[in-house]
Amino acid sequence: MPQRSHEDSAQQGLTQGDLPQRDLSQHDLPGRDWHRFERWFIPCLIIAFCMVAFWLTTTFKTMPPILKRGIQPSDFPQLLLGLLVLLTLFMVWKDPIRVKERMHRSTWGTILLFAVFAATTAIDLFLALAIFAVAMAAYWGERRVPMLGLVGLVVPVAIFFIFDQVFEIRFPRGLLTNLWYG
Amino acid sequence: MDPLINGLISLADPYLLLLLLIATIGGVVIGALPGLNATTGAALLLPFTLTMDPVPAIATMTAIYCSATFAGAITAILINTPGTAASATTCLDGYPLARRGEAGRALGMAVVSSTFGGIFSVLCLMLAAPLLARAAYNFSPPEYFALTLFGLSMLASIGDGSALKNLIAGGLGILIAMIGVDNLTSVERFTFGSYELYEGIGFVPVMIGVFGISELLVQSQQLHVKREAIRMKSVELPGRADYKKTWRTILRSSGIGTFIGILPAEGATVASMIGYNEAKRWSRNSGEFGKGAIEGVAGSEAANNAATGGAMVPTLALGIPGSATAAVILAGLMVHGLRPGPAMFTEQADFAYAIFWSMMLVNILFLIIGLRGAKVFARVTLIPVQVLWPSVFVFSIVGAYALDQSMFDVWVALGSGVIGYFMRRYGFSVVPLAIGLILGGMLEQRLGQSMVMLDEKWWLMFTRPLTLLFLVLTALALFGPALWGRLVKRRAPLESSGE
Repeated sequence: MPQRSHEDSAQQGLTQGDLPQRDLSQHDLPGRDWHRFERWFIPCLIIAFCMVAFWLTTTFKTMPPILKRGIQPSDFPQLLLGLLVLLTLFMVWKDPIRVKERMHRSTWGTILLFAVFAATTAIDLFLALAIFAVAMAAYWGERRVPMLGLVGLVVPVAIFFIFDQVFEIRFPRGLLTNLWYG
Repeated sequence: MDPLINGLISLADPYLLLLLLIATIGGVVIGALPGLNATTGAALLLPFTLTMDPVPAIATMTAIYCSATFAGAITAILINTPGTAASATTCLDGYPLARRGEAGRALGMAVVSSTFGGIFSVLCLMLAAPLLARAAYNFSPPEYFALTLFGLSMLASIGDGSALKNLIAGGLGILIAMIGVDNLTSVERFTFGSYELYEGIGFVPVMIGVFGISELLVQSQQLHVKREAIRMKSVELPGRADYKKTWRTILRSSGIGTFIGILPAEGATVASMIGYNEAKRWSRNSGEFGKGAIEGVAGSEAANNAATGGAMVPTLALGIPGSATAAVILAGLMVHGLRPGPAMFTEQADFAYAIFWSMMLVNILFLIIGLRGAKVFARVTLIPVQVLWPSVFVFSIVGAYALDQSMFDVWVALGSGVIGYFMRRYGFSVVPLAIGLILGGMLEQRLGQSMVMLDEKWWLMFTRPLTLLFLVLTALALFGPALWGRLVKRRAPLESSGE
């Protein structure tokens, strides 16, 4: 669909879709098979999640009438889960999932960096933050050493001292924080 | 009258004034940076306010809200990329004006109309919030339940997702609120025996995740986007001819923005779109819109800033957030142990008025900062994303940790960020999720109280006039647009055949 210019958008009345959006190349568009997969996979995932959650609600304790305070602990979640399944089915029919853009390698890479960050926190939270910040900046294309030093060293250290000295918040002990806390 | 004066007096505190100045400058920077907006800014700031008293803490968050909403116009005008979604309509005329060499004039108009819209809405807030609170003071649980349901039904029309997807996202938010020990019966739900889940999932880490970390992942898709900035000599105050041309638009958009803001969950983005459309509809020069009409900038900017004050009306008076940022502020109120709702205007009236006055002051502050410093703030758009977003991540993680000093909250923030990204990717807005999380517990609690009060005869709710009114409004909010669309579709062929 061709994009409407500012002039067209302003002249014909606005909808959310008319607001400035970036151009997508052919490479950014999702393939048909992938599109079909995501269209069905997401509703199925939501429904499966709701069914598991519903089963979990059946394991909640049941209160005797005098203590139940109006509704049983499982009543409201069950009502909500039923509603969610209905809405999801309705969504499949009326408003199916349409993916506008292929997921970039940089996004997958960033999510992978999250996993590396999570693993490194076992050694030290601040070490993990510094490593993540440098790795992410480099992965996103930053090559200037002073800039990498800024995000990997200055920012985490500044934040650490602000929280430690101003807000008096202690961070979990680890390889680096032990040097400060003693 | 006392709380009004006491609230004003509390602004005489130099510490508070300094904080407001810093927060206003911070808000302008946040708003000017594409990708960061008032909601993300407020969510990231929330942990920093933990050690503060309630007035400076909430005033700082509202300062970010007001100033960031305005500052989105800077990048909208100069680089055709709205700093915040609420400024997207400002691009339509602001950027063409900038390309004609009138960037300073467009920015000047954006600052003035934003300030007017903001002050207008704060005045309305000062009048409307106490009145609304007084009206709501005698509400019983069934009325509150129906009102909360109405607030949630408004989620259908917010954000960039579709109505159905918004409702699903809102439902998931409510479901997350069910995790932990049930307030009514003390029964554990979805805790899996985990100690961390006993008290439920906190608002703050989820908000940091869905607004901050998910945006980081969205930005990772846009690394190749290059933005062309337009140079600006200086910011000019609009001339007399501009005022003559736009004063009606500014006034109208301020009214529209305030009204839209008051509606639960509807925020500045919707307000700016309606403000812009109405500016064009009433303009004598509607042909100029999209080519660089100064009224377009005024209409959009007055409306989006007016929505900030409007959004605070239901937030403070009823405890129902008027927008996504107001939801974060509401979470901030709860974290600080305050109970938003009618009681706030009787038990904590000084606090409420201090917030109103601080919002008023912030609107004046960003007028000065906007006129004097827009040229400087425009340069923040030059901060490379490779430096900005890793720093945002560090802030997000430390902020999530700081609230309860728990690594569990860090995992919640990280998990919510990834889930939030995929939700956005598949067309689900994350705003309903956040609002559902805040209102979910309240909704269930009020349903339970209503059932006790009505002796478990839920149908008696329909016999209470106010409850019925809110339930009818809920049904209208949910089904009205679809029914109206059908009616219009059915009429169209009839009219064309009649011709």
